[in-house]
Amino acid sequence: MRWLILAALCGIPVALCSAAEVASGRWQGTIEIPGNALDVIVDLAQDTSAAWVGSVIAPALALKGAPLSEIAVDASSVTFAMQRGFSRTVDDEAQFTAHVAGDAMTGTFRQGGQSAPFALRKTGPAFVELPPHSTAVAKEIEGRWIGEYELGGYRRHVILTLSNHANAAATAEFVVVGKRTTNLPVDLLTQEEGLLRIESSEFGINFEGRLRKESADIKGTFEQGAVELPLLLRRPG
Amino acid sequence: MKTSTLFAAVLLAFAFEPCPAQSMFRGDAAHSGTYTGKSPRQFHRIVWKFQTGSRVVSSPVWSDGLLYFGSDDGNVYAVDAASGRQRWKHATGGPVAASPAVAGGTVYVGSYDGKFYALNARTGVTKWKFATAGERRFEAKGLHGMQPAAQTIADPYDVFLSSPVVGANAVYFGSGDGNVYALDSASGELRWKFHTGDVVHASPALANGVLYVGSWDSYLYAIDAANGQEKWRYHGGEDAAIHNQVGFQSSPAVVDGVVYSGCRDSNLYAIDAATGREKWRFGTGLSWVVSSPAVAQGKVFFATSDSSLYHVVDAATGKPVVQQQGKAFVFSSPAVAGDVVLVGVLNGTLEARDLASGDLLWDFQTDASRRNAGWVLTSERKFNSPLLFRSNWREAPLIAANRQDSVGSIYSSPLVIDGVVYFGSADGNVYALD
Repeated sequence: MRWLILAALCGIPVALCSAAEVASGRWQGTIEIPGNALDVIVDLAQDTSAAWVGSVIAPALALKGAPLSEIAVDASSVTFAMQRGFSRTVDDEAQFTAHVAGDAMTGTFRQGGQSAPFALRKTGPAFVELPPHSTAVAKEIEGRWIGEYELGGYRRHVILTLSNHANAAATAEFVVVGKRTTNLPVDLLTQEEGLLRIESSEFGINFEGRLRKESADIKGTFEQGAVELPLLLRRPG
Repeated sequence: MKTSTLFAAVLLAFAFEPCPAQSMFRGDAAHSGTYTGKSPRQFHRIVWKFQTGSRVVSSPVWSDGLLYFGSDDGNVYAVDAASGRQRWKHATGGPVAASPAVAGGTVYVGSYDGKFYALNARTGVTKWKFATAGERRFEAKGLHGMQPAAQTIADPYDVFLSSPVVGANAVYFGSGDGNVYALDSASGELRWKFHTGDVVHASPALANGVLYVGSWDSYLYAIDAANGQEKWRYHGGEDAAIHNQVGFQSSPAVVDGVVYSGCRDSNLYAIDAATGREKWRFGTGLSWVVSSPAVAQGKVFFATSDSSLYHVVDAATGKPVVQQQGKAFVFSSPAVAGDVVLVGVLNGTLEARDLASGDLLWDFQTDASRRNAGWVLTSERKFNSPLLFRSNWREAPLIAANRQDSVGSIYSSPLVIDGVVYFGSADGNVYALD
């Protein structure tokens, strides 16, 4: 019995290790969408906390580093999803369910109510591209800012509120008031080398600007798709 | 010489000091296409390959151990030259089909979103950006005989954007809006712009305070870099019928007072840099010279499109020295390193040729070229034209041009550093070979 327990204990790390080794790496191959075979490269790895991370490259779709979610690795089976599928702006989840045997990963790809087989081969170590993370912002730009821009002959008001949080990234409330009031969901807020950047990918809206200390304003541009407009933000009152 | 005069002279020298060689398109400000160090005379291995999200027509440049290049996926990349690991990427709003220039810790590059970017070379964070009047490709009615003849059609072979050149605290580049721009390299403020008659996607060369650049209006211009005043213009060929044999897509090289440039009118020209007078021309029949010439050891190296010929001509006389038959169209510009000339081919092959004889030393074929999906290539690696170009009606020629790229076409011009060859491919990879 003692030998059996010892053997089982020895076996656990071996099994864990093999599951990680099995799935980890750069996987390259094709999704056999009928009449439109799609080459993809999938990178899968574990981060320092042993959580799985991954990203996808699809050269035919000009896509580099799309993040993977819901990654599950269990012995020889692997599942993962792309929350946005191959879209950059809207949720259009795509799912991969696969079996791994040696350097081959085969399975089923599902998107838009359709499914297609895919086959990938491990070609080397993973180069996972992690999505950018929000940062803290300088204390001098915390708080409320207001401004306005004109689009299609209509004036819109912008109310931007920036908040820092202890041991966490800053957050932004980004409100545009036109005929209606829209609270834009902000998925990225960064300030690097003085450049403030706010992204609301759901609406395809970005703001980029810099604080001008001499005039106490943030001079920047409001981008919506291909439209780019100047936007000057000032402190209210 | 008085101390103040000496100081001023030193300052002036630094002001006009171009970026270090290899940190801009064609290696240096004059675009000689020559690189210090040797190139491998035998192919050994793929050192690494870096996958982007779309084709790479941009040519990589090198500065402080990093490679910088753009991709049609819209990103500008900084990649460690030794390991191939991504250092950063910066998203623009359109394909980045130009080669960056790196100077003073800043990466300068334009994008098909119509903006010109200055990025921190270490981090990729925007320093400033400048909006042109907008990018577009060369276009014409009845272009290349496409139908319907009265329809304006964008040229699918207008693949490159103008790559910047840096000097005199300014950065210079051409634009699809027809202008050549000079911007303050520190602030991005407009110094001057010079309007030509059509799209400028050739890359300006800078020599002795003069910019040399061709336009799709079929003129090659010499422009005073200090004030944007025209010094002279040289008229290339015209093609009023189908606009096939017209326009400077090739970027000039300036060596020893002579401007060398290819032209879509199927000539390579040698023009006196001071006067704009033609010294000689080398005709290729009806084959575009999109490739930008390299100039080394008194010879000019270039290649042609449809005839797929590799040429070496005497720089002083234009007389042929070497001619070698290639397998497919060449848009890539040759790179001279040591006794080897490297050139990319649209069939997805990189060729290494002997400098003196032009003989093929080795070649490297991309995986996509070997796979040859849909028989885009014949077994001899020539384009399989009957299967590719099925019709000249509507989008068929445009689809054919896209299908050509499926074999990993090499538009990018090779860069050679310490015996390693770097180039981009339409398969989305940047390759490092030795």
